[in-house]
Amino acid sequence: MKQHPLCTDCENPVTPFDLPIPAGLKREWAAVETRRRFLGRSGKVLGWAALAGLFGELGLRSFANGADINSVSADGRNNLGLPHFAPRAKRAIYLFMSGGPPQMDLFDYKPNLASQFNQDMPASVRGNQQLTGMTAGQAHFPVAPSHWPFGQHGETGAWVSSLLPYTARIVDDLTLIKTTNTDAINHEPAIMLMNTGNMNAGKPCLGSWLAYGLGSMNDNLPTFIVLQTKTNPKENNQPVSSRLWSSGFLSSEYAGVGMRSDGDPVLYLADPAGVDRNVRREMLDTVEQINRQALAEVGDPETNARIAQYEMAFRMQSSVPELTDLSKEPQSTWDLYGPEARQPGTFAYNCLLARRMAERGVRFTQIYKRGWDVHGDVVGVLPTLCQETDRGTYALVTDLKRRGLLDDTLVIWAGEFGRTVYSQGGLTQDNYGRDHHPRCFTTWMTGGGVRPGISYGETDEYSYNVVKDPVHVRDFNATILHCLGIDHSKFTYKFQGLDQKLTSPVPAHVVQGLLA
Amino acid sequence: MIAGPNLVAAIRNLRFRNVPPQWLFTLGVSVLLVLLPFAIPLDGRPHADGLQFLGRFHPLLVHLPIGMLVLLPLLELAGTTRLALREAAGFVLLLTLATGAVTFAFGISLAYGSGVMGATVTRHMWGGIALLVELMLCIALRPAWVSGQVHRIYPSLLALTLLTLIWTAHQGGSLTYGSGYLTRYMPGPLKEFFPSASAASDAAYVGSVYARHIHPILDAKCVSCHGASKEQAGLRLDFYDLLMKGGRDGAVVAPRNPDRSLLLQRVTLSPSDRHFMPAEGRTPLTTDEIAALRAWILAGASPTAASIPGISTAQENPDLPLQPVGDYSFLMNEIRQMQGSESAKLDAVSAMPSDGLILRTSDVASKFDDAQLARFQRFAPFIVEAELGRTAVTDACFDTLSKFSNLRALHLEGTAITGRALAKLSPLSQLTYLNLSGTKVTSDALSPLKGMPNLRHIYLFDTPAEPASTATNRGTP
Repeated sequence: MKQHPLCTDCENPVTPFDLPIPAGLKREWAAVETRRRFLGRSGKVLGWAALAGLFGELGLRSFANGADINSVSADGRNNLGLPHFAPRAKRAIYLFMSGGPPQMDLFDYKPNLASQFNQDMPASVRGNQQLTGMTAGQAHFPVAPSHWPFGQHGETGAWVSSLLPYTARIVDDLTLIKTTNTDAINHEPAIMLMNTGNMNAGKPCLGSWLAYGLGSMNDNLPTFIVLQTKTNPKENNQPVSSRLWSSGFLSSEYAGVGMRSDGDPVLYLADPAGVDRNVRREMLDTVEQINRQALAEVGDPETNARIAQYEMAFRMQSSVPELTDLSKEPQSTWDLYGPEARQPGTFAYNCLLARRMAERGVRFTQIYKRGWDVHGDVVGVLPTLCQETDRGTYALVTDLKRRGLLDDTLVIWAGEFGRTVYSQGGLTQDNYGRDHHPRCFTTWMTGGGVRPGISYGETDEYSYNVVKDPVHVRDFNATILHCLGIDHSKFTYKFQGLDQKLTSPVPAHVVQGLLA
Repeated sequence: MIAGPNLVAAIRNLRFRNVPPQWLFTLGVSVLLVLLPFAIPLDGRPHADGLQFLGRFHPLLVHLPIGMLVLLPLLELAGTTRLALREAAGFVLLLTLATGAVTFAFGISLAYGSGVMGATVTRHMWGGIALLVELMLCIALRPAWVSGQVHRIYPSLLALTLLTLIWTAHQGGSLTYGSGYLTRYMPGPLKEFFPSASAASDAAYVGSVYARHIHPILDAKCVSCHGASKEQAGLRLDFYDLLMKGGRDGAVVAPRNPDRSLLLQRVTLSPSDRHFMPAEGRTPLTTDEIAALRAWILAGASPTAASIPGISTAQENPDLPLQPVGDYSFLMNEIRQMQGSESAKLDAVSAMPSDGLILRTSDVASKFDDAQLARFQRFAPFIVEAELGRTAVTDACFDTLSKFSNLRALHLEGTAITGRALAKLSPLSQLTYLNLSGTKVTSDALSPLKGMPNLRHIYLFDTPAEPASTATNRGTP
């Protein structure tokens, strides 16, 4: 026998059973790769092939649906048995503050810090935590108290920074979570974890899970829409991209549909000159036929997604102009959202669009606002960030409330992590910087399913560690799913041999204290 | 107790010598039993603990005579063919009376010892007395029936005894589980025959913090012992006036002074304390409930205040007992077909059919009119939410909607309705949410809705009826 170049001892070939690997893996190998099993499977494949031939196109189509075969019925609606229980919220709007807002400058009021200005934070508070490369080399960790005064607002008397005068007005409606915490200390893993429940890219995000699980409420609009706020070049903008609203291993139908923040929200909505609606329809019908042929030949489930997306695009040609036509908005809208809302791409404009989408049955809207990564010049940049977002946020919640939509809409405000109480770089009387901080940060929710007017959890006097009632990102996401009628532990999708979940793999818990 | 032996002697002296002794016994004891409540009136004052100790065995023991009494007619029936069973029936009857008498004694000890009072307790006691009397009459009459001298009296008496048993047992059950226990989850159509199934409350305070937050707490945790059916310690908490009046120990609420309010003291004691409330191992108040009571008392314990710091008013639990809707699975084929077509759709609220269906029209809103709505009539009892916002429906839609008997939420925002026909919604007892934003509805048109107790969220943004402030929740002006 000719010796294989990699085989050193072909008399006694090495098998997986000789390798120093866990016994469980060996057992799995033994179960999968026996000759008998190989032959058995080959036989089954022939059988399936014959069956597929018998059923013709129908059979192949069901193959093409792949893992969805059991969950999607012929009419395209899923049979997952969701929601598991009657939901308090039908839809959600997620205001994502990318970069990591400084919790102690906005919501987590720490009056005692003023007296410790420029004193080193006790080493015991930090413990053995690994810091980012940006501050790990600092010899000192001087406490930087918030530059802005706080005030008590609403009937609940919650403390809110003077930077957020509008948000302060709705504080009685908010469920403040002071103890949100994450595992990651850098943007990319942290923002992935927040959105998809996993630090590595490739998993579906919250919106995709919801689109997959709950389906559409309006077939003329995408189930999951992403709005980006135009960036301000003076701010430290961390990148966001479609990986954050990707459907991962779910069908691409469930990916977020991004709308442009400048010019037309969706390109080529109008049919080109000379092409009327019927011509467009006929063209799409023909394209669908060709796609179905490809599906029959190749059986790639993504072909299904492509067909669905062409149809969606056709319907969006009429539904999106109506959605983005703000000319019929009454004066009271502009009084509420402010003049900025008239400019496409501003946060206030996106908030107004989000309200209009909620009215029209869009299941999940995510608005990204970048620039919260305030490593330096907090005093210079933070007021701008707050001014850009404060009124839109207030207006959205107030508008939903007065129109009766807040009863069944969950609004979420969160970034990917918080910021350190100690100053990054030089601390002066007038300015300071703040580094990333994963151990605690403030987020809030309001609307269907959550308890208004409470502040959940407590942090220590440096807003550094959680003292009481931590809410991990996984618990945060489990609670969001709960409000939408989903038991996060039962909402799974089989992929790579695992029952994948938004909240896997470490067990997550719905935070009962947040629920109404 | 007062005149028992004398009475028997008096009857003997009155030349009733030819009357059999068991008749005299029956008569004498019956008179005694009827006089008993007057001898030891239930005055709401607790008495010796020893009595209570015995008394608490009453609910345990009571099932023994009940079981035997239910067995009795079966034995009598079977006894027509098997004589041995007829003999057994006589023994069972005696035993029923014996255990029944002990049970009754324990029941009296319980009521007298714990100082309970109230209409249901009284009714339950008279039921017990009637049962004992009837049992004794049964015993006295039965020999004549067995020997064939009399035919109808004993069976009719036995039937009457059973009816009395059912009534008495129901009173007892109401004492233990609360009066709405049986009817609470009764299916909708049945409920119409039992109009009294809904709980009473202060109609005058609809919408106040008291009505929305405080009364429900008391109703859930306290009223089963401090209510119309049982008035432990002479205290009733089911109406505002009675709550403020207090009980035998005086006022239980000291406005603006939670620490001196007996109500709050009792519920915040250590659970092992003998004065801890709710007593007898019933579910204690949650910290949130205690906080709400404290906040309400601190703010002056007003029955009308619409908002109070510390009690959230923005949104409340849908705590009314929602009626489960029936099973719509037999319509599932039609529902699925609809979902595949370009028309309004019915979506399940959840995987549980009893949660009902949502009528969704957003795909076809501009084309959805009254005629299309009428087509959904056959699904009417299963639809719990109708999303008709921005559709082409008009005032005529209320004719169809009035048949959606389980409707909880109704969206009519941005439609052409004028509100003239809103009165047609009044049969919808489950309706909690009504969105009329952006319509021409005036405040006058809303008056028919005032009588709908569950309708707590009415949205009137951008209508002539909009209140001066933008807040539109009724009760939180």
